[in-house]
Amino acid sequence: MNIPTLNFITRFAADDGPAIHVAPAEIFHVGGVAITNSILYGWISITLITIALVAIARKVTLQPKGGAMQMVEAGADFISSAVVDAFTDKSRGRKYVPFFVTVFFFILLNNWFGLIPGVGEAIQRGENPVLRPFTADLNGTLAIGIFTMVYVYFASIRESGGIVKYFKHFFLGSPLNPLYLVIGILEIFTDLTRTLSLSLRLFLNVTIGEIVIAVFAYLGHAGGFVTALPFTLVELFIGALQAYIFTVLSLQYLAITVNHATEHDNHDLTEDEPHETIGVDRDRVGEATAA
Amino acid sequence: MFNFAAEAINTAVIGKGLMVGLGFIGPSIGIGIIGGNYLKSVGRNPEAAKFFGQALVFVAIVELFGLLAFASTFIVK
Repeated sequence: MNIPTLNFITRFAADDGPAIHVAPAEIFHVGGVAITNSILYGWISITLITIALVAIARKVTLQPKGGAMQMVEAGADFISSAVVDAFTDKSRGRKYVPFFVTVFFFILLNNWFGLIPGVGEAIQRGENPVLRPFTADLNGTLAIGIFTMVYVYFASIRESGGIVKYFKHFFLGSPLNPLYLVIGILEIFTDLTRTLSLSLRLFLNVTIGEIVIAVFAYLGHAGGFVTALPFTLVELFIGALQAYIFTVLSLQYLAITVNHATEHDNHDLTEDEPHETIGVDRDRVGEATAA
Repeated sequence: MFNFAAEAINTAVIGKGLMVGLGFIGPSIGIGIIGGNYLKSVGRNPEAAKFFGQALVFVAIVELFGLLAFASTFIVK
């Protein structure tokens, strides 16, 4: 059957568990390139997000009118204050506000568009759903994660002032010390897993949410809408939470390096000064030894 | 007499159940510890309530391992 059918009709006929898809499915081909359902819905939601946000941005006034604009303003203000607060040097932090606010709204609205009734398992073409949330596809979240982390790496290298100084941040002291060398190399490898952990977290949360909603819609039979509703509301919260967590974690990855660079602009950990200790005034150490 | 050997048992289902069940124990304990300690610190010092966002970030870090256990079940055939 190649025409889209509503799932609740087929659900009465076959009782072999809820239809669950973890991977996106091909819908059609364009010049040999397979277009999956998540790509299709990604295009739709990106178009809607762009139109909605541009329309809202055009109407910005000193005294906000209308609910949608206030929500966008509250979200943008929330993220921009989080971004500025994360940096010790506020003027440096302000430069990164637009990027992180964009990432936050992109993920948030993609998560929420995935919860609209009809997206997911509801409308099917053959075996596969026609529409799939963009963030419920590992390729999509991996694209967001790689893009974000590449931006973070470039910004950290620029803020540290060169690639050599950037890699120096991974070492506690001189890399010639074998212990510091091993710890530093371990830190570099830990850093590389961040891309994967960011994208896997987002993908798994959204996909598991889709599965939970599908399972409870299946358990409700004819009243599937009622049984799935509480979990859809939970997913609304989780979608917002995951967008916030993605933004804040990638922000922290950047802020750690930038703050480190700001603190140690004039100070190298390897130099032969006495280390800073709690309760000891750095300027008085010299006096004590001189006396 | 029962003849268990005659029925083919799909052990993959048991494996998947064990993976999800055991894999979710750790993150559940971890999230409980994070939430409990957050509430404890807010009880001692109500100003610590501003760290709710950071507590959620740590919840997300812990939660990832449970989700990985869930994702691994799709490898089992």
